[in-house]
Amino acid sequence: MWSPLIYTIGSILNAVNLFTQGYFLVLYGDLEIDYINPIDLCNKINPYVIPDMLVHLSLCLILLLTGHFWTFLFNVPLLVFNYLSYRSGRSVLDATEIFKTVSKYKRNSFIRLIFHLFAFFYYIFNMIIAIIGHAVAQNESRPQLMT
Amino acid sequence: MSSHKRRQYPQQQIAAYDVSAGTEGAEGPGYGYGGEAYQYADQGGVFVPAAGAASIVPTPNQVSDQLGQMNVGGGAYYGAYGGYPASGPAANPNSPGMASPYSGAAPAAAPFGAPAPSASQHNASFNDLQTVDMIQSMPPPVNDLDLPPPPLAVPIEQTITRSEYAQASPDYFRSTLNVIPSSPSLLKKSKLPLALVVRPFIGLRDSDEQIPLIEDMCIARCRRCRAYINPFAQYTKGDYRWQCNICGCANDVPQNFDWDVQSSKTKNRWERSELNYGIVDYVANSDYLARPPQPPTYVFLIDVSVNAVHNGMVNCVAETLRQTLHSLPNSDNCTRVAFIAVDGALNYFQFPLPNPLKPDERQDARMLVVSDLEDPFLPTNSGTLVNLTECMPVIERFLESLPSLFANTYSSNSAMGSALKASLGLVKSIGGKVVCITSSLPSVGLGKLQPRDERKHLGQKSEHQLLQPANNFYKSFAVDCNKAQVTVDMFLVSNNYQDVATLSNLPKYTAGSTFFYPGWSAKKHSDSLKLQAELGGHLSQELGFEGMFRARATTGLHPSQFSGHFFVRSSDLMTFPTVSRHHSYVIELNLDETIKKPYVTIQGAFLYTSSHTERRIRVMTMQVPVSDQLSAVYASADQQAIAMWFAHTASEKALQSGFDAAHELINTRIAEIFKVFRTDVLNVHTGTSSTLSLSSNLMLLPLLAYALKKNVGLRRNNQILSDIRANALDLLQTLPMPNLIKLLYPEFYALHELPDEAGLPDENGNIVLPQRLNLTGEVLQSHGLYLLDDGQVMFIWVGNDVVPNLLMDAFGVETLDEIPSGKYEMPVAEDRELNCRIRNLINASRQRNDTVYFPSLYFVHQNCDQSLKLWVAALLVEDRSESDPTYYQYLTTIRDNLAAK
Ligand SMILES: [Zn+2]
Repeated sequence: MWSPLIYTIGSILNAVNLFTQGYFLVLYGDLEIDYINPIDLCNKINPYVIPDMLVHLSLCLILLLTGHFWTFLFNVPLLVFNYLSYRSGRSVLDATEIFKTVSKYKRNSFIRLIFHLFAFFYYIFNMIIAIIGHAVAQNESRPQLMT
Repeated sequence: MSSHKRRQYPQQQIAAYDVSAGTEGAEGPGYGYGGEAYQYADQGGVFVPAAGAASIVPTPNQVSDQLGQMNVGGGAYYGAYGGYPASGPAANPNSPGMASPYSGAAPAAAPFGAPAPSASQHNASFNDLQTVDMIQSMPPPVNDLDLPPPPLAVPIEQTITRSEYAQASPDYFRSTLNVIPSSPSLLKKSKLPLALVVRPFIGLRDSDEQIPLIEDMCIARCRRCRAYINPFAQYTKGDYRWQCNICGCANDVPQNFDWDVQSSKTKNRWERSELNYGIVDYVANSDYLARPPQPPTYVFLIDVSVNAVHNGMVNCVAETLRQTLHSLPNSDNCTRVAFIAVDGALNYFQFPLPNPLKPDERQDARMLVVSDLEDPFLPTNSGTLVNLTECMPVIERFLESLPSLFANTYSSNSAMGSALKASLGLVKSIGGKVVCITSSLPSVGLGKLQPRDERKHLGQKSEHQLLQPANNFYKSFAVDCNKAQVTVDMFLVSNNYQDVATLSNLPKYTAGSTFFYPGWSAKKHSDSLKLQAELGGHLSQELGFEGMFRARATTGLHPSQFSGHFFVRSSDLMTFPTVSRHHSYVIELNLDETIKKPYVTIQGAFLYTSSHTERRIRVMTMQVPVSDQLSAVYASADQQAIAMWFAHTASEKALQSGFDAAHELINTRIAEIFKVFRTDVLNVHTGTSSTLSLSSNLMLLPLLAYALKKNVGLRRNNQILSDIRANALDLLQTLPMPNLIKLLYPEFYALHELPDEAGLPDENGNIVLPQRLNLTGEVLQSHGLYLLDDGQVMFIWVGNDVVPNLLMDAFGVETLDEIPSGKYEMPVAEDRELNCRIRNLINASRQRNDTVYFPSLYFVHQNCDQSLKLWVAALLVEDRSESDPTYYQYLTTIRDNLAAK
């Protein structure tokens, strides 16, 4: 019965991730056309890298605690991806090496973006299903009260 | 006098000396001495003959025996000395033309070492492909390492002025491929790297270079791509417009281009330097200034903790700095300096200005101790960062008293991280150089480091993790330094773990240098000599400030990767807070479309403020032919530049992915080059073959790559401490080409068979070097005396059966026991001519005007300890080592693998 709420929260948190990765990609693009220098780029991106991962982690925890196992499993690949990236110590940008590594960061951001895009539709779809299911369940219980 | 002036210490004479051992050795046969010695005395008074020296010249038989024992190339070996040696044909009769078509292309009287045009430059034909069988031509003709690269086959008609010097000298600017493949697919197929090797300065001082200077502030640049006008630009519309040879855009010629400002007359445009020379310096106008030029500024951070006091570093450094103060760049008397002594706290020094009323009053520096390390307090009132000229006497007195000030210190901590931060605060608004001289690991305050557990990783797959920075402070601090135009230099003088891997990150990303002195102690004379020479030499070089380098190339070709010590500020801009003049850089080029033009132009522009606070631009231009033939590309590839690319790429690979990956990279690439040469250049597809072919201009590439694998930075060995590794990798990524080649393949000379002119000055005052020997134990003779020099260390190897006369001539001693082994300076025996010549050779290597490194000298003989012998053995790179086969086996393995496919 919590499902509609959970999926609404899911789609909101997911939208935050989606927006962040989109923002990162725009900045990487700016770096490649020399619109921004490496120092400013790192100052703009680095503060958001770990919070972005934490947002996703908290969403996963909510899903796990409320028993949405399939949706949680759907999120596991990104969770592992984020964990590995954090473990490698290269999740935040290094301004001194940025031109050697930017293509990799760009690719990773792009992968995350695609994932969040799929997830976005997934949550919306599930939210609608859950709302309809909730409404149907209420409708089914209503005639009994009427009579 | 006999025409044979070469001194001989041949094997056969040992018996004779043994027999006459009791008779003072004066009458033994075989010494060509007195006569020629007098001759030298006549020439220049270099040598005072020893009384009673015998004057018997070796018989022709003995000489030919001696030559017969030489491993390298017979008669040509000596005969061709002076020009470029033709050792190839002698070693390899199968390829008569192999002495390379360009061996005659030595510059004649060029104003700045530009390659004189050879015959091939006058027509559009490419260099001829000369095929060599690598296995037949063993041992490799190592004296060819001194040859210039294959010439750029660009006809002189390509330049509007028909200037011979239109191409930039390869000493400054060269490409790995002097014929560029016309399409990306051809470049990929060739397996050869395409990169530029850039060395903006070839001497430590402006006076070491002769580059034409353009002072009239009339700088013609393309309005679209911002390239500079150059000798290869074309003119249209009655010479009023020039067409950019980089992007093709048509530009107006600037109005003042034909106007001589000084004489107020029209001048001949075609005499302008930028249309005649491949390398020119411009004096830049205010458009090229982000802010007014700043005074040269130095902050010295000197470690005064217990370590530094005990090993004598403080004493040695204070004395060196005192002597160097007068040679710091200070042409306008505006240089500023500050000193911070660092232990567990920061000790600032304030220098009072001389009192104008009482100029003779003695004033002393005041010390200010700051122990807040997290956010170090900055003394804001003046007196910390002072004008060097004004405060010279008080600074000199301060440096004299510095060692005694901390002689009784108990602090074993070092707050170097906090000191770095404080020094940045001092010079933040000016920029400049922070010179950090330390003997301990930063242990308190910001950026503290711990010793890492090396034993766990040495020789393991994880070894390269020791080379990663242990701490983020230093990298992010490097970024802050770049913002403030500050360079950090590290002098790491330690007998303990120093974490070079982490600390060297600061110089690496701020265009500075790291100097490392493992096991240093002031008690050893050669140790303090080395530190003094390198610290003094590094500080007294003429600096450039706020440097920027950008490379441009014809459409289709663009720079992609940069390697060296600098900060990359945008996708094509390298920046240097200050410019170290003894560094060199590698820039990889990307070919992303088919090039239809017959020639491409590559231009590098280096913008900097000179130490005379004048903004300058050094523009280097070369035009490179394009071909769709793989054979043309191979015939014009530059083996030394490719070796340099290998050194940079493999070091980077080792840092990122480990030593196995670096070796793999070298092995695969070399094997691929052989394969492509065989199947696509020579079109040999059939099975087995006993030959291994390569073009003659690439003949030494496999040797250099093989030597690179055995360099301390990349060698597979579980005994090399990570500090040594990190320093070696640092050298591989900074040394300019001649020094890098010397590091990879050290110079090896037989001192007992020096040709007459070797070790003596030629007409220009340069010491003549003897021929190099191949680096293999096979050339070592037990009665011989050898010098091995890689630019960082030198070894004198004394054979077991050396005759007493040779010892006497070389060192002024009678028996081997009198020569200590290990680190030791060359004994001086003024009356011995050989001794003088050997010292000349050693000094020539130490007093070069293009490097600040001062190689230590080690004596190696039978009595020395095992580790020293192993060290020398590891430098004989053609021999077997514990993890690698001999060079010969390396080649035959490649050949067998090729044939098997
Ligand atoms: Zn242009």
